[in-house]
Amino acid sequence: MKNLNLILAGVFFTVAAPFGGLLLSGHAQLGALGRAPAEEGGPLFPAKEPGLAIQGRQVYLELGCVACHTQQVRPAGQGKDIAQGWGVRPSVARDYVLQSQVALGNRRVGPDLANYGARAKSDAEIAAHLSAPAAGSSMPAYAFLFSPAKDGSLQPNERGTALIAYLKSLRQDYSSPEAKLKQ
Amino acid sequence: MSQETPNSRPQGQGRPQGRPADAGSPRVSRVDASVASPVKFFFASALLWLLVSSVLAVITAVKLHLPGFLNGCEHMTFGRLDAVQRNVFFYGWASNALIGLNLWLLSALGRFEFRNGWIATLGGLIWNLALTAGVVTVLLGSQNAFELLELPRGLAPAFFVAFLLAALWPAVAFARRPTSQVFVSQWYILGASFVLPVVYLLTQLMVLWFPTNGVLQALVHSWFLQNFLLLWLGASALAAVYYFLPKELGTTLNGYYLTTVGFWTLFLFAGWTGPATLLGSPLPLWIQSSGVVAAVMLLIPLTITTINFFGTLSRDSGWSRSWNNTTLRFVAFGLVAYTLAIALQIVFSARSLNAVVRFTAFTAGQQQLLAYAFVSMVIFGAAYFILPRLTGAFWPSAKLVHLHFWSCALAVVGSVAGSLFFGWTQGAALAAGKPFAETVAPQSALLGTVCAVLFLIGHAAFAINAFGMLTSCSSSTDEGRHA
Repeated sequence: MKNLNLILAGVFFTVAAPFGGLLLSGHAQLGALGRAPAEEGGPLFPAKEPGLAIQGRQVYLELGCVACHTQQVRPAGQGKDIAQGWGVRPSVARDYVLQSQVALGNRRVGPDLANYGARAKSDAEIAAHLSAPAAGSSMPAYAFLFSPAKDGSLQPNERGTALIAYLKSLRQDYSSPEAKLKQ
Repeated sequence: MSQETPNSRPQGQGRPQGRPADAGSPRVSRVDASVASPVKFFFASALLWLLVSSVLAVITAVKLHLPGFLNGCEHMTFGRLDAVQRNVFFYGWASNALIGLNLWLLSALGRFEFRNGWIATLGGLIWNLALTAGVVTVLLGSQNAFELLELPRGLAPAFFVAFLLAALWPAVAFARRPTSQVFVSQWYILGASFVLPVVYLLTQLMVLWFPTNGVLQALVHSWFLQNFLLLWLGASALAAVYYFLPKELGTTLNGYYLTTVGFWTLFLFAGWTGPATLLGSPLPLWIQSSGVVAAVMLLIPLTITTINFFGTLSRDSGWSRSWNNTTLRFVAFGLVAYTLAIALQIVFSARSLNAVVRFTAFTAGQQQLLAYAFVSMVIFGAAYFILPRLTGAFWPSAKLVHLHFWSCALAVVGSVAGSLFFGWTQGAALAAGKPFAETVAPQSALLGTVCAVLFLIGHAAFAINAFGMLTSCSSSTDEGRHA
């Protein structure tokens, strides 16, 4: 193997093959995927995020929450994500079509958040968890997302409010053509 | 093609040792002198980044079991420090060191005097400035959600140009010399230096500049990550192994005729393995299955490197001679790690097993096995060989060499074994239906902290020794000595 042009050409092929075979083929299948109703005439899902949640997504990314939290529910048989209560159905590609940057994550130091908005009871509960996580949790307190109110209590500041809105907007509890919820 | 054969360079210096009492300075050949400036620049930069990465690794490890540690300031949030530590390690330490190592290997193999060293140094300067800017930006609060793509996209052109100047251009220039000899190491260096910029460019475009639709971003990212780990870091480190193993043992490579197949199958299949790291994700099943098939096919290059390297080490008491040679001690350690890392990747691409360990510390352990126990250990071994030849100085302290090896070896064994064990037990507990909060083992974080401190000690020992040598560098060349 002395011909270096041949080596370069061969290496180029080894890069081009998975690029075409996986990435471009994947793009051909999913590149134009958009919102869709579960049944004809129904509302489109996934729902558009409110503006505050879009700002909150930025806070989520800035703080590197993805280091410890995933946002994907695996199907039954491929882990026990649904049995853990992290989702009511597996995540599907359509769930992510509105996200400018997908934060699937690859490590769970904390629980999955794909459907967190559906299981969080209230803004106050999320705020309490962010400002003072339960004992034993590996999550740090995010004091800088809160400011003291007149009555001395801690209230989420602008970024804190946005992050809470974002966390509440994380829902995968609707039917989609690929993953219908059991009635 | 021809096989690396021992040449007239001094052989390994026996057990790790510093300056012999009655010795002068080692010689710097004209070939080494021609690349000394850029290679020393890359190694010095790599060392500084390694120290930064080690300190950050201690802080993040402590934060995992004491979340309140250094938590008063937003910039010290775990999510930011973790991203910075990872980028500093991979782009600052490993990539700088491998660019330098590849440059040196190419010139040493070609007996080629490198004339435009300043271009590579300029590339290195841009690379390190871009990384510094990226680190500051992440700490100030802007990062992307993809591992090793966290740095802002605006810096990508700088990284791209820097790599072209520092690694690709020299690789192509060296490789296209009119010569009949082409070494296995050169294939790997050329391949690695070509793959990284192409894959980096395409990934930046498809994920950060013109994002593809939804989960396709994760697919492109997994393609990038596997290329980065296996075909940039892995292939560059394999190039060094193909050089140092036969050379330092003074023997020929076992099963040399298989190396062509080993090279092509690694490059052919590694790029397809990305989706095997995304099993259970919302990607179409056919994409995930393609990744699994490719991961299993890695068995071919793994078998060949096993025959090549372990066959060579098993001859003529190669293992014991490696143990007594500073460079080979690190390289042989790395080889065992490489074999384990690829074997684990193959075995744990099986869906049922992957379902257990996915998202746990197990996958972090697998990555550390490849990126640290293999790649970094090989870089250390290479540095013990190269730096004396570039600086014309001996390693100042043999004790620090021992301290470096034992701290890093113990730390990486403890850290990887801990990640694999606690990752597996957590995955098994989750599979058995235990609530998530009850599956977290606090011992895992404690072990991580102990190992991070050990890493820091080892790296500090290495840095003290290396900077001692780099700053006491002699400019004496063969020519100068003969004059």
